[in-house]
Amino acid sequence: VSVATATRRVGVIDWVGSTDHKRIGVRVATYAFGFFLLSGVFALFMRAELARPGLQVMSEDTYNELFTMHGSGMFFLVLAPLALALGVYLVPLQIGATDLAFPRLALIGDWLIPLGGATMFAGFATDHGAAKAGWTAFAPLSDIDHSPGYGMDLWIFGGLLATAGVMLLAICVLTTVIRFRAPGMTMLRLPVFTWSMVVTCLLVIASFPALIAALSLLFVDRHFSGVFESPGGPVAYQHLFWFYGHPVVYVIFFPFIGAVGEVVAVFSRRRFFGYHALVLSLLVFAALSMSVWAHHMFATGRVTNQYFSLTSTILLVPAGVEYFDLIGTMIGGSILLSSAMLFAIGFVLLFLIGGLTGVIVASPPLDYHVHDTFFVVGHFHYTVFAGSLFGFFAAVYYWWPKVTGRLLREGLGKLHFALYFVGANLTFFPMFISGWEGMPRRVADYRDIHNLSLTNLLSTIGAFTIAVGTLVFLWNVWVSSRRPVLAGNDPWEGQTLEWWTTSPPPRHNFDSLPKVKSYSPLYDRRMGEA
Amino acid sequence: VGRGLAIADTRSQFGDLFSVYEWLTIVVMAIVFGLVLFAVVRYRRRDDEYPRGQDKRTVLESVYALLLAAVAITLVTFTFRTEDKVDAVASSGGLRVNIVAFQWQWRFSYPDSGKVVLGTTEHPPTLVLPVDTTVRFDGVSRDVIHSFWIPAARFKRDEFPKRHTQFDLSFDRTGTYIGRCAEFCGLHHTDMDFFVRVVPRDDFERWAGS
Repeated sequence: VSVATATRRVGVIDWVGSTDHKRIGVRVATYAFGFFLLSGVFALFMRAELARPGLQVMSEDTYNELFTMHGSGMFFLVLAPLALALGVYLVPLQIGATDLAFPRLALIGDWLIPLGGATMFAGFATDHGAAKAGWTAFAPLSDIDHSPGYGMDLWIFGGLLATAGVMLLAICVLTTVIRFRAPGMTMLRLPVFTWSMVVTCLLVIASFPALIAALSLLFVDRHFSGVFESPGGPVAYQHLFWFYGHPVVYVIFFPFIGAVGEVVAVFSRRRFFGYHALVLSLLVFAALSMSVWAHHMFATGRVTNQYFSLTSTILLVPAGVEYFDLIGTMIGGSILLSSAMLFAIGFVLLFLIGGLTGVIVASPPLDYHVHDTFFVVGHFHYTVFAGSLFGFFAAVYYWWPKVTGRLLREGLGKLHFALYFVGANLTFFPMFISGWEGMPRRVADYRDIHNLSLTNLLSTIGAFTIAVGTLVFLWNVWVSSRRPVLAGNDPWEGQTLEWWTTSPPPRHNFDSLPKVKSYSPLYDRRMGEA
Repeated sequence: VGRGLAIADTRSQFGDLFSVYEWLTIVVMAIVFGLVLFAVVRYRRRDDEYPRGQDKRTVLESVYALLLAAVAITLVTFTFRTEDKVDAVASSGGLRVNIVAFQWQWRFSYPDSGKVVLGTTEHPPTLVLPVDTTVRFDGVSRDVIHSFWIPAARFKRDEFPKRHTQFDLSFDRTGTYIGRCAEFCGLHHTDMDFFVRVVPRDDFERWAGS
């Protein structure tokens, strides 16, 4: 109780400037969640416009701003920061460290992200409005002639700042794992989530500089000389962008499959099944994912389609291994369907749809038809929403008691899950049909043929169902903080070190540590093996 | 607008290849959904005991990984075969059509007959083509990247500024189909539609001569 009281007395300076990795993690997650709500509201406006054929809610110009800022917000300011926020908070706790490496660097990274967000969204206050060239900002659409105004420049600087921030956080997390592990915590005893953060950070460090380069060159192109003006320029920009733009989707996938792995193990009362295979598959996944970027460019006719088709399709091997391990953990377990577990199972089921449609778009002759259509919009929302965000909420319901010392309400959590599960399928499944039947992405309007008005109406109803689910979650947070139920150190019978210490953990994280003889030290103790 | 008519070779190639992927998708989904449902029902928590079981099945998992690799290689093999046909460009003959895409309209021209079709905001352009004829398209953009997409042909190709893109299509059924710009190209991207009207060869000759 005394710890819970202490957390309530956090001063403003401490809240803004603390270098405690736990504060940094919560801070990044909090404003990333704020950007999630904002970018989500943009999506609701877009779905309202698309509910019926014709333009009813907004102009094409506004629509173009909204989908650009929705995509940019979700990638630059929501999903990548949320992924790193989990890592910054949890990795030191999972490996028995007292703090994060380079805490001041992490503090800078922390504040660069909302600064980038504010810069990007400030575009709405300029004469020409916010950026409206899509989150990919392909040249030459994003050059000064076709995208005049400061909105585009603010978008570039916002993207640069937020990307730099995420890179700094990744450097801190990776260094922490390499340098600060507790005695006995070898690399092959890292918890599943921490391993997923290791590969995430490797990908961030390897691929994010390509975006820094692309955006910087785009700024030079706009104001000094036409970097991308040559005949090969537009394709060169796409290579640079996707060299970041594909790995980033794994950056926002690995941490959540890692979190889901922990949740599935704990709520199945089993050690994670096939640990070594998982570690290997994550490393293979990360390595392969650096060599698939041009599968976004099949329809350009200007890349070696067969090479990128091969590398992209082979990804199903490590992904299949991860599914084997997740389901293998459940089979033979003792499964409790808590809110966290429901979101984890939702992740397993719905990400599969994103993954399998990913195998389809990895085939150039099939991609020729569905590329740049709502089919692809459906595909990647099954991966980033029904996948990553479901994984994020599994993590939220699982680790909330550790972070706050209080339990979220299980009933509201299950209602949240039900609304999200129904809403996600209702929103994103009809998109496969919309795209297949001829609806390109990034359009404010469509002709009322091939039942497009029906599939679009269903998607709109689904989007608002998701919005209601989000409100239920916020209500859950509110209720649980107004009428707190204390969680204790280890409400779920956790298997990893963060459940050894108090909830929330003290500034120095641990007063003592148990012996670490495997990737699940608390499970070992419970089973009398330590 | 003709729906459900098999018009183009690209369409049937797409259909054959997609059916392979479609079956795989259905089978994998059935297996995974079935296993998860089985696990949740069969292994739901009934008591306070901790189950004892193996933490890994390395041999089984290795065999499974090899099986996955075999599936991937099979899929890629089918894909490569189809792509060779879809991307094939005829060595000679056929009708030539030049595409010029620009914000936010299409211009189709026929160098053999001198015909030019230019769309307006009120009237999207109609690309008239003869049935059962190889058509050699040469596309270029005047400003940003556009993408020439005919959903019924299951085919699209990007049009770049300062660089020409060539591809062949042939249509084996008459009918009228919608075409769209698939690459986001700025303010009125939404409105950049066109029509494709495939007509008997005689009708095409008459139209081209008019």
